[in-house]
Amino acid sequence: MRELELYFGPQHLGMVGNFSITLKVEGDRILEAQANPGYLHRGFEKLMEYRTWIQNFPLVCRINVVEPDHIEMIYAMAVEKLAQIEVPERAHFVRSIYLELARVGSHLFGLWAYANMLGFDTVAQWAMYHRDLILDLFEELTGGRVYHIYIWPGGVRRDFPPGFKDKIVNTLHSIGGCVPDYDSTFFNNRLFYERANGIGQLTREQAKQWGATGQTLRATGMKFDIRKVEPYAAYDKVDWDVPVREDGDAYSRVWVIRDEMIESVHMIFKLLDDMPEGPVYNRIPNPFKWKVPKGDAYVRCESSRGELGLYMVSNGEDKPYRVHFRTPSYPNGLITLEKLLENASIADVGNIMISLYVVAPEIDR
Amino acid sequence: MNKSLKEKLESTFKGLRIAVPEESRIAVSAESDNVLAILRFLKDAGFNHLALLSAVDWIEDNVFELCFILTSYMQNDDEVTGRQSLHIILKTKIPRKEPQFKTATGIFPNAEPYEREIHELFGIKFEGHKRLIPLLLERNYEIPPFRKDFDTRKYVKEVFDKIPSVEIEEK
Repeated sequence: MRELELYFGPQHLGMVGNFSITLKVEGDRILEAQANPGYLHRGFEKLMEYRTWIQNFPLVCRINVVEPDHIEMIYAMAVEKLAQIEVPERAHFVRSIYLELARVGSHLFGLWAYANMLGFDTVAQWAMYHRDLILDLFEELTGGRVYHIYIWPGGVRRDFPPGFKDKIVNTLHSIGGCVPDYDSTFFNNRLFYERANGIGQLTREQAKQWGATGQTLRATGMKFDIRKVEPYAAYDKVDWDVPVREDGDAYSRVWVIRDEMIESVHMIFKLLDDMPEGPVYNRIPNPFKWKVPKGDAYVRCESSRGELGLYMVSNGEDKPYRVHFRTPSYPNGLITLEKLLENASIADVGNIMISLYVVAPEIDR
Repeated sequence: MNKSLKEKLESTFKGLRIAVPEESRIAVSAESDNVLAILRFLKDAGFNHLALLSAVDWIEDNVFELCFILTSYMQNDDEVTGRQSLHIILKTKIPRKEPQFKTATGIFPNAEPYEREIHELFGIKFEGHKRLIPLLLERNYEIPPFRKDFDTRKYVKEVFDKIPSVEIEEK
């Protein structure tokens, strides 16, 4: 049979976001795949070298449109580490609650993408609606719906407004009440099972070798979660568990995402109960004249897609000298995706890509 | 564990500078010839996750600094030990003129896109890399754009100011 070259994306129904894959196919079988990122490369890391430490906050959150909050967090953590700023106890709890809300919102967005791609339009609409409820919470807390710029070195920008705690609880209850509906129409649906089972199968050794983290790794049975192995914020203050699955295919990955959402909701309730009183930020030096001491730092947190890291170098000036983000989609989208697509069929390309939870803006930066 | 690893590294390799700035971090500076052997050694010692490969342009010292950040996955599937929170930052300096380094993809396959990115953004060539093709950029640049002597603002002014603005005709 004849070999053909097939361009998949960026304008393709199965493709979400600014990304494309060049496939070499023989009939329906893929011989070789090459991921092409760069459609949304804005050079943030270079731009950040021209801006002061505080000016960078509105910039970093734009790296990943779907979940800007974890990127804010990682940048704040790196600045705090270099400048040795303490964070008050209450701020740790506020940050954790905020990040878990962001995780639920981001997973719902991911669920929208996946359900939409497979043709489960009803579930996709539900997920988008429920994400909107979480965006309403963010709007009340921070003033912004998508980009929040809420986390700050030394804490968060402001405390919860009056009555906000009840609003979180009510919103999460109304989302949680729909879990049986989601289960019966999507997760336990025979059609979905047939479509996702055995697709994009990954062994644990392969996942480790290709630098996978997050759901991609946890779906192969390893309980690797940065919130557990290197706790930050208030994640070591409450009791929670890391959901895992054993099979390593697309079906397992989606189930890990579902279980993680439920675990996050439970965690938010526990964090709300245990939240101490007190200030939510420590004063930082005058941001216009702020010089961060010389040094370098690597910090990491668990974003909703896996290990999000930041390597930052300061040479003692008022701007960062070098910034490099390690985003979880980077190894997933550039190595794991290419390897998993070999010998797959063309109809499964979108399925494999979205089940790996690849977000293109995060790869390009 | 930090201390025993530090001693082991010092006895196996010569010319290393090892610092332990905090409990969860070991900073190793090595000669560029030694780096691959050290990476292999650390991988065998259990640091099997290359989290990031980065480069820094120290233009005043006329060197590039390559920086490998290693952490470890779990030994057993659900056992969290102190080891997973330990970061090893391995740094090496290479001259800024015609920068070259050997590829680490033989040891860590996931170094592949990182090396491609560094090649594109810093102009550092990785010997033995199977496909050093462009990753993110679409234009050709005289100076690789992430080097310190590349001025983003000047470039934007020179390139994009030449594009004529759109005139709207009034009816």
